[in-house]
Amino acid sequence: MTYVIAQPCVDLKDRSCVDECPVDCIYEGKRMLYIQPDECVDCGACEPVCPAEAIFYEDDTPEEWKGYYEANVGFFAEIGSPGGASNTDVSGQDHPMVAALPPQNQD
Amino acid sequence: MTTPATVTDLPDPVLGTALVPTLGEGESQTGKDFTSDQEVRWCPGCGDYAVLKAVQGFLPGLGLRRENIVFVSGIGCSSRFPYYLDTYGMHSIHGRAPSIATGIATAREDLSVWVVTGDGDALSIGGNHLIHALRRNVNMTILLFNNRIYGLTKGQYSPTSETGKVTKSTPMGSVDHPFNPVSLALGAEASFVARTIDSDRKHLTSVLSAAAAHRGTSLVEIYQNCPIFNDGAFDAIKNPDTKADAIIPLVHGEQIRFGAAQEDGLGHKCLVRDAGGGVRVAEVAGVAAEDILVHDAHHPDPTRAFAISRLTDSGYLHQSPIGIFRQVERPTYDDQARVQLSTAGEPGDLQALIDGPDVWTVEEENR
Repeated sequence: MTYVIAQPCVDLKDRSCVDECPVDCIYEGKRMLYIQPDECVDCGACEPVCPAEAIFYEDDTPEEWKGYYEANVGFFAEIGSPGGASNTDVSGQDHPMVAALPPQNQD
Repeated sequence: MTTPATVTDLPDPVLGTALVPTLGEGESQTGKDFTSDQEVRWCPGCGDYAVLKAVQGFLPGLGLRRENIVFVSGIGCSSRFPYYLDTYGMHSIHGRAPSIATGIATAREDLSVWVVTGDGDALSIGGNHLIHALRRNVNMTILLFNNRIYGLTKGQYSPTSETGKVTKSTPMGSVDHPFNPVSLALGAEASFVARTIDSDRKHLTSVLSAAAAHRGTSLVEIYQNCPIFNDGAFDAIKNPDTKADAIIPLVHGEQIRFGAAQEDGLGHKCLVRDAGGGVRVAEVAGVAAEDILVHDAHHPDPTRAFAISRLTDSGYLHQSPIGIFRQVERPTYDDQARVQLSTAGEPGDLQALIDGPDVWTVEEENR
């Protein structure tokens, strides 16, 4: 089990969760933030601090955003487990599903 | 699956898990096998989650049968640990987990015995039980979660809280002097003493591996953040900007160097002998290369390890040595007890002892 970041984060990237995460497992992509599922310890600190309510416990992800589980997992398919977001720059990348989205959360 | 009958049949040095049955050929386990069906209940952001995840990820690597692993805890937040691991476990009596584990380790050489405790459980009510387990060198690993606060009871100062700390029970600041758990363990002549950090899974896992391999009592202090009642207690050693100066890394056989790296790739600060008999921090540029301390965790005398442990801030934590302070071979209580049992001859008749010939009656007139 892990936590998952979903659509409300896309093009918003508030980053409150990044400060809150005790194990530094939330990585910044080009258009959204991603949780490294193997590094996440399921502590739930990120979920309540997200002003956009973009973070969900894996099982509680709304039906319409279920695909974001795969986006979070898939984002790290090549990156692997870098062991800490603060010393890893992946900000130029996105999961293909996210990269293909039209502009989001603009209002 | 064959295991030696007694520790005396084993080659030297003897692993902590030497008498515990291992998985059979072709069998394997993953972290999922050690994850129970219980919902994990700690506060959001608690360091305990990180330790739990690290332990669940580490245990499969031991290659031991789950049914031969037991986690004993006392009372406190961290003591919920056994519920979440799919091994045997016992949420036991406040401060008495090391004593119960002593019994388990002595009676059952085929079990890998772990204790989960905290700064309150181990160092307040359980202080005596802890030091005597360390002194006896019972074959078990003690994980001491140190968050420097009483979390379960909602934020009173603990035996590791800094002097002057303002809490619900110390509204004008604590006047207590805190324990340094590593110094305490070294003072009790523990044969394995280490310190690690909840959020550094790699280091935590490496220390757990060494602790499990050690035959005897392994004391592992884990700095663990309590985000609700003592948030930020370990920020200096976790913040990427400050940790190079805050963590004094201890690696056996290597120079003790830290701080921002200089040309040789190692830190610009080091530890050297102090004229007063202890050790102190010095600039590498200002001392002779041969004066820089090389960490020797295997030294039979704990004096140097103790001196290094004193470099831990007792107030707000800005600096702390992290790693294995001491790791020495010493006969264990449980192995020696088993050897005595095996050579004591025929078992005695316990009922005969209880009934015994030496009985008397208290008469009414004698009262």
